[in-house]
Amino acid sequence: MFEVFVDALAYSDVLILLSIGITLTYMTIKVPNFTHGDYASLGAYIAFTINLFYGIHPFLSIPIVFILAGLLSFIFYLFIFRPLSERGANLVTLMVTSIALELILRSLINIYADIMSLKTKIPIFRGFIFQDYLINTGIFLLPFSTIVATVTAVLIVSLLYLFLNKTKFGIAMRASIENPDLAKVLGVNVDLVYSISWFIAGGLAGIVGVFIPYRITANPQVGWDLLLRGFAASVLGGLSSIYGAIIGGAVIGFAEIVGIYLLSQPPINLPIAYRPSIPYLTLIITLLIIPKGITGIDFSKIKRKIVGGRNGNN
Amino acid sequence: MEIIRFVIDFLSFYTIYLMLSISLNLEYGYAGISNFGKVLFFAGGAFTVGSMATRLTILLFQGRWIDIEEYINTDVIWGTKVSLFFAQHPLYGIFIFLFLLVLAMSISALLGYIASYPAIRLREDYLGMTLVVSGELLRNIAKNYQPLVCGTFGVYVPNPFSWATGIFRDLLILFILLIFSSGIWLIMEYLLNSPFGRLLKAMRDNEKVVESYGRDIVKLRIKTLMLGSAIAGLAGGLYAFYTGSVNPDDFTATKTFLVWVIVIIGGAGNNLGAAVGALFYVFIDRLIAYYKHWIYLPFDINYMSYIILSIILILVIFYSPQGLFPEKPARTPVIEKLRRGKQIKSIKMQEQE
Repeated sequence: MFEVFVDALAYSDVLILLSIGITLTYMTIKVPNFTHGDYASLGAYIAFTINLFYGIHPFLSIPIVFILAGLLSFIFYLFIFRPLSERGANLVTLMVTSIALELILRSLINIYADIMSLKTKIPIFRGFIFQDYLINTGIFLLPFSTIVATVTAVLIVSLLYLFLNKTKFGIAMRASIENPDLAKVLGVNVDLVYSISWFIAGGLAGIVGVFIPYRITANPQVGWDLLLRGFAASVLGGLSSIYGAIIGGAVIGFAEIVGIYLLSQPPINLPIAYRPSIPYLTLIITLLIIPKGITGIDFSKIKRKIVGGRNGNN
Repeated sequence: MEIIRFVIDFLSFYTIYLMLSISLNLEYGYAGISNFGKVLFFAGGAFTVGSMATRLTILLFQGRWIDIEEYINTDVIWGTKVSLFFAQHPLYGIFIFLFLLVLAMSISALLGYIASYPAIRLREDYLGMTLVVSGELLRNIAKNYQPLVCGTFGVYVPNPFSWATGIFRDLLILFILLIFSSGIWLIMEYLLNSPFGRLLKAMRDNEKVVESYGRDIVKLRIKTLMLGSAIAGLAGGLYAFYTGSVNPDDFTATKTFLVWVIVIIGGAGNNLGAAVGALFYVFIDRLIAYYKHWIYLPFDINYMSYIILSIILILVIFYSPQGLFPEKPARTPVIEKLRRGKQIKSIKMQEQE
């Protein structure tokens, strides 16, 4: 049972990092970015390649992966999404463009994996894992990667919090996401702020890629599978605040791992392969019942309904 | 001989993609509903045929329902038996064929009705995510819930035209596919140039105005989605019969995206664009499938075709957002008269010169 929770914790860390990025880019140009999952596949392949050829531990390659994935995301924003949204392209066009970029990126990663597995004669290029250390705590085995993933997630969330609330640039960033026109009037360089948001978002997704191969087999398809869970987490969080994304990531992570664990036990005995259905169903149900997500619920209203009585003028 | 096979295969795939792109064009090009779950309705039709074709025939003509545990391992044996049965009784084969296509259309239309629930309420981006995820959900369920299409390895679909032999059978199936697709084409051209088509365009451009003229937007959207999904279901059923098997992993979100590529490159809001876009895509796809052994590449060439298609799509979006065949005004009697008048005028002008 402890193992299940530890597993869920590691998975939640990954989803939190992913959904922060999805939410951040959604807040800037209001488009669900389908490319986001593939930054994670890219990160996984970069870390794997560096590890294979230079023997550098995957955790040490996190900064490189962050910068490379971030740069890619930044380039996509600068040369594709920004020009398109400036020309007044509609939402659907932007979505189709992002799916096209997703397909290009995924195909490139596939081609890379094919070529490399032929060249290096290592067949695992199309599906690899990283070796993990297990720490025996007495009651259960704690994987080292889970500790690193949790520390990284906590560190990034606190850094983001400090950045967005305490630095001048962070406050400018929030302002230009909240109301770009007003921020422009006050002299904020909205373009720069958006570019940096896309850079950070892509970089965070890249970091996710370093942690994936510790839990599941990483292949070129893994980013797409994670993306849909990232969507579920971000939508549950409301797609309008980074804190919502954190809650959403944690809820989806635990719901998927603990949920399938409970459902696979008697009396239901559901096969574990149904696992992806849990986040998918959560996304559909969230959108149909609370399209604004958890952070969009007006809790004081619900409280008033339950408590009843004095529901006067407010 | 290989060329003939190529042409038959190319045209058959073309008819199926033509139907899919016409249905997406109806939904997105005319009615403005961003259906990012086309594969859901395509799979609905294909799964209906895949799950029913063999077992329904056995049930009807032998009075026996095969248990799923037995059927998973023996679907090819049973399917071949049914094919042999159809070879002796062609009329039964045609009956099953038509019955299952009607069933596929109804089930997909039902799925479309269900999908209209979010389509009425959500914005394009949220609707897109819901439908993409719904498609993946159906694929996940089909892969694991074996009674549907026998799980991961898919199911064998008997050939209802097994009484015909050799190349004649392929030609017969192609002929039937062509009849279905051109029928759909003619019906849609008629429908979309009628007041209904103009109503859809009006809804796409401004819902409030249409509502203020007393039209029911909700009903209109439900109708559009059900119609579009029924066409996609028909395409799915025909695809299952044509390829002779149904495999859940064939119905990924990429299929949806390819239909989007076809519609956007060809030009949304114009069925001619959808037809030319489908021709373009299917030609590339079949050419690669048939002749990929001629060139050696150290990777699967399909990825290359995805990259090329995506780049073309992005270029079209950047430099010709209307697509290759931009939308034209509906062919109402007045416009036809005007157009003819212009032609007559220009001919007269030339004569005077």
